Amino acid sequence: MSLKAKRRLQSALVQALCLALGAAVVFPVVYGFLGAFKKPAEFAAWPPGFLPDSFLNTENFRYVFQAAPMLRYLFNSLLVATAGSVLRLFFALLAAYALTFFEFKGKKLFFILMMGTMMLPGDIVLITNYQTVSAMGLTNTYLGLIIVSLVGASQMFMLRQSFRQSPAALREAAFLDGCGDLRFLFSILLPLSVPVLVTLFLQSFVALWNVYLWPLVITSVDSMRTVQIGIAMLTTYDGTNFHTVLAGVTIALIPIFLLFLVLRRHIHSAMTAGALVG
Amino acid sequence: MKKTLCLLLTLCLTLSLIPAFAENGPVVITFWHSMTEEAKELLDGYVADFNATIGAEKGIRAEAVFQGSYADSVTKMNSILSAPGHTDELPDVMQLDATGKASYLQAEAAWTADDMAKEYPDTDFSAMLPAALMNWNLAGVQLGLPFATSTTVTYYNKTALGELPLNTLKDIAALKGQVSETTLDGADITIYASVPNTPLLANWLGQLGSDVVSKQNGSEGIADSLACVENGALLTFLRAWKDLYLSGALKNVSADREAFAAGRLLVMTNSSSSIAQTQALIGDSFELGVAPYPRVNEAAASGATVSGSCLVMFDHGEARRAAARELVQYLTSPEIQVSFAMGTGYVPSNALAAESAQWQDFVREHPLYDVALRQILATPASMRSVTVGPSADFYYTIMNDVSDMLEDDLTPEETAEILEEDLGGLLWQYVRANP
Amino acid sequence: MEAVRRSARVRTRVKPYLYILPMSALALLFVYYPFLKTVIYSLSVVNAKGEIVSFAGLSNFAYLFGRREFKAALSNTLTLAFINVPVTLVITIALGYLASRKRFLSPVYESMFALPVAVSMSAAALIFKVLLNPTAGLVNYLFHLDFGWYQDRNTAMAGILLLTVWMGIGLNFLLFLSAFRAVPQDLADCAYLDGANEAQTFFRIRLPLIAPTILYVSCTNMIQAMMTSGPILVLTQGGPSRSTTTLVYMMYTSGYSSANYSLAACVSLVTFALTLVITLALYALQERRRDSQ
Repeated sequence: MSLKAKRRLQSALVQALCLALGAAVVFPVVYGFLGAFKKPAEFAAWPPGFLPDSFLNTENFRYVFQAAPMLRYLFNSLLVATAGSVLRLFFALLAAYALTFFEFKGKKLFFILMMGTMMLPGDIVLITNYQTVSAMGLTNTYLGLIIVSLVGASQMFMLRQSFRQSPAALREAAFLDGCGDLRFLFSILLPLSVPVLVTLFLQSFVALWNVYLWPLVITSVDSMRTVQIGIAMLTTYDGTNFHTVLAGVTIALIPIFLLFLVLRRHIHSAMTAGALVG
Repeated sequence: MKKTLCLLLTLCLTLSLIPAFAENGPVVITFWHSMTEEAKELLDGYVADFNATIGAEKGIRAEAVFQGSYADSVTKMNSILSAPGHTDELPDVMQLDATGKASYLQAEAAWTADDMAKEYPDTDFSAMLPAALMNWNLAGVQLGLPFATSTTVTYYNKTALGELPLNTLKDIAALKGQVSETTLDGADITIYASVPNTPLLANWLGQLGSDVVSKQNGSEGIADSLACVENGALLTFLRAWKDLYLSGALKNVSADREAFAAGRLLVMTNSSSSIAQTQALIGDSFELGVAPYPRVNEAAASGATVSGSCLVMFDHGEARRAAARELVQYLTSPEIQVSFAMGTGYVPSNALAAESAQWQDFVREHPLYDVALRQILATPASMRSVTVGPSADFYYTIMNDVSDMLEDDLTPEETAEILEEDLGGLLWQYVRANP
Repeated sequence: MEAVRRSARVRTRVKPYLYILPMSALALLFVYYPFLKTVIYSLSVVNAKGEIVSFAGLSNFAYLFGRREFKAALSNTLTLAFINVPVTLVITIALGYLASRKRFLSPVYESMFALPVAVSMSAAALIFKVLLNPTAGLVNYLFHLDFGWYQDRNTAMAGILLLTVWMGIGLNFLLFLSAFRAVPQDLADCAYLDGANEAQTFFRIRLPLIAPTILYVSCTNMIQAMMTSGPILVLTQGGPSRSTTTLVYMMYTSGYSSANYSLAACVSLVTFALTLVITLALYALQERRRDSQ
């Protein structure tokens, strides 16, 4: 066998393996999606089936849309995760800039205090934070949903690392051209840091999208709930109604999948560029 | 780049300042509930009817908000109560289960049924089902009015069990060997699955004439100790439970409705409220039977405590109080109670409803729905459901400690000691902080 | 002229503080202040309304350490973290490596591997609840298994692990994929020329080069795993028989549902201390490994 043929065979095998593994990874999602079309009795049947009896059974979706404002949940989650990530990055950006380019008293203390927050995950101070935020009158508001997650110490750290790599001469040159700090930060430094920013945004988005405890305690009205809480509430206390729950799950997943597929290329290139190597 | 960023930032900030809602017009009241599936659809219908009739006439609009399970809802209420000055986030009417009674009683914003009777002297509770009404009386205060009343009953696979008796735990143990152990497809069949929790333990001990905790199961004041150790009731139950487990008829897991519907579990003890849901799940595959709650032993009394939930109210000023009262009266009226019971399996909380021709005709045709009401009427008045401060911890501690007895093969005596220590510790911690 | 210069000087002196103001304020208000309050709560008797009744000394901790729930929560949390993190690492490093070279079908399987990123925690938990249900679910039937997963105390934790590992695949795969792709190809080529085989280049060249990513992933995953509570709340409520009670879940039920704020504060602090020690240890391990090279 020629070297080339061998290479090709190897490549085909790797790809086949990857597809098989990929199928295993996506299997639960496909299963959940198919379950959304099943009737209650299909879940009590033995042996359990994979495909629903009929894809025309949209009764479960009808029930979920009628029982819960799913679109509102999705909107809330999107807003919270986006706004939270943007604000978090914005504040981290400012702090990272100060840390890189300014000399000031208390710089070290500030840095240590910020890095210290990474050791204090939000869940640890959940209850005391609830008391604070609720005393501020922010229960059932978007601000209340995001305000406790705006301290992005790891984001600040990564941005500082990235800023440090930019040549010092760049700032001097910009200042000679009459550029101020803010303008330098936003017009010159920021475009240079897009890959890092996208990576950080993505990570932050995923983290905020998945927060469960905080929205659970800080919201009490349907219109402010995030999708995480919304679909978990489709379960009853004495048993899960699988058919409706899976319909809820499917509705919650579809928009995110679309977003994911559309942004896939950006996500990949951004992550590759902002890789944590070195 | 800068422009987009600025735009995005402004957008985020503005959006995050939008309050949940801002409305005016009729008196708007919020109603927190915990109903799902059939019960939720019915409830949404009642609220819509209320808004269209009485509401339209008196300028009231009720908004029903699903708050998750009772536990979720109580947790939410507790969290609001613990943050001073935020009572405006409380609903006007709330569906409350037994775990929320203690904190509701202490809430300053509570507008109890007694408060309502004081303000509106023509209020009359006498039509309510006495046992159900009593269940929502704590320390002499009528907290709210029963709405979704149920009790624990035995669901069984009538096709598989036929007329075999299910009166006592011994009867269930005796099923071992009398019924097939595998389904036609070769899957294992479990006879009975259950893990005792607070209400179930209250049933078992109540049958033996004992309370679980002091102060009449916490209904006369804050319970500070166990009441089932000295009198031996706890030990009697634990022995019977362990015997049942050793017979092989009991599986130490909470009953799984899917397994029951698939014919892989023959007996389960669940709230009567899910008869309609269970029936829907079974479809035509076998005949569902419903029987009274089994007794610990031959000597025990029969019956089980009332479970389910009541409607309580919070004070948001005179206009909303009056509106909340209208809604509560509407939802506890005979018509609604009959309709709700027929559609779910709950018991009519209104005695007039139970006497109505509509209900009588219905149970003649569907005798399964009659078991729960008969059981409630037959249960001694001394059997009260349990009210303790740390209700969630209490609930899971009972489940865990009793499970340990079966799984780790501890003796009933050791388990009784462990329960005394664990549950006593929880009560002590609560009393210490909330004297 | 003098005034202008002075105001300019004041501006440069104040400016850095304006830049760090938002983050400092938020950190003080929502991280350090509540942490301090948690410490105070842990040493006090706190009533159901959140008011401090009296000083308790260390009695809350003494009570906590004696509780069966706590012992279970502690060992469950550690089990979860110490299985989840290495398993996730191995799986995602393997997937990242397999997918690192761009091939014809790359876009397809890369998306498949990354997909869990797009699945929210409660959605994933609910799907697994059905999938692993002994009667309704497919897994037991397909693999001829006969256990109850979330219904059985011996297997419930395995079910939680399966779920949390699956949830972690997406993001970590992407991180490793980027890391592997950023390894300069000529380094590997050199190794090949020196006669190294695939395994040797992987362990001697590629893996050491992605060490920073490994450290990052282990630390973030470790913290996340130590804080596990969402799947527990959605799936098992800590049961059966305490087999899936975790520290943060215990904090939520004891503190929140049962209004025992002092106990919740104690659990918080224990979780905090443990997480801190473990993360620092991971970091130190990495530093030592680097020094020894």
